[in-house]
Amino acid sequence: MTKDNWGRTLSVFKTFLKFGCFTFGGGWSIVAQMQKEYVEKKGWISNEELLDFTSVARSTPGLMIGNTSVLFGYHAAGVPGALAALLGMVIPPIIVMLGVVYLYDLVKDNLYVARAMVGVRASVVPVIFSALLKLFRSGMKDAFCYLIAAAAFCLCLFTDMSNVLIVLMGAAAGLFYREAKLRHDLS
Amino acid sequence: MIFLELFFSFLMIGFTSFGGLSMIPLISDQMLSHGWMTASEVADIVAIAEMTPGPLGLNCATFAGARTAGLAGAIAASVGVLFPTLTLTVLAAMFLEKFKQNRLLDEALFGIRPVCIGMISAVIVQQSIGNYAGTLFGFVSWPAVVIGLVSLLTLIRLKWSVARTIVLAAVLGIVLCGVEAGLPVG
Repeated sequence: MTKDNWGRTLSVFKTFLKFGCFTFGGGWSIVAQMQKEYVEKKGWISNEELLDFTSVARSTPGLMIGNTSVLFGYHAAGVPGALAALLGMVIPPIIVMLGVVYLYDLVKDNLYVARAMVGVRASVVPVIFSALLKLFRSGMKDAFCYLIAAAAFCLCLFTDMSNVLIVLMGAAAGLFYREAKLRHDLS
Repeated sequence: MIFLELFFSFLMIGFTSFGGLSMIPLISDQMLSHGWMTASEVADIVAIAEMTPGPLGLNCATFAGARTAGLAGAIAASVGVLFPTLTLTVLAAMFLEKFKQNRLLDEALFGIRPVCIGMISAVIVQQSIGNYAGTLFGFVSWPAVVIGLVSLLTLIRLKWSVARTIVLAAVLGIVLCGVEAGLPVG
């Protein structure tokens, strides 16, 4: 491995260690953090790539946050990068949780903890929303995309269809639409 | 051996679920059948997992592992629940990088990206209902709504980082919920 790659691996580890402290609200807040850090600030990935990682992470088994970290880490610095991102992401929650195990009774019914959590939960939606605002245009390239997005939205909200199936249907729709368009444009 | 048992239990949970709340029945099943937690502890741990950073599955793994077999147990269970990520997702990452230039993959992703936008929008609606209102719109939590609006402002107008916004939201939660709790219940 080159020296440059080690540098990237280390940088990914440190950044994900920071991300790991603030992954509230099940997976989606990390997308907002990655958008800010790696699309806007560092320019390592595009909004499109971030959407790809998110979709694949959601449709492979296991923990979505972990999957997103691995997909990004691999892209940034290969297998060491994937491991660095995952390790960085999981260390803070594991440490916090170990603390909770020993202070269980203290934390469980603590009024201040409960109030702080009302605040944290209230900020989760704005965090996800801020990511959505930035990703929106990268995902929506033409009118057909709006149709797919609306369908996915309804399927998620009103049915209990698995996310994997919804993602696969989106892939099939994209394939058919773009292939049909290609043939049409050629003729 | 307890460590292997923890590892395989959470390995199964990892491979058969797709994160988040979908894991709860599986976790509950494994915890109860092994006698590692009681039903009320499972309910507690789900609530606590929501209060601490990190994915629910990992938090439950750490908690159950640590309670049954200390630090080593926590690590065994965590590695178990992360195993699909370490194997299948690494393969998926390799696949994605290798076929980046492939036309068919590009076309599939063209359809997948709007799905992702749709899924994120749905999550926003679901979480809004849970975080700002009672489950059946029985009440609206005003402190939560105010904190939500302030967070929106800091994130989008002031361009604060997610971390800073969450810390502010926690402080506001302690202050505003305290104020509300002090009001006469009417």
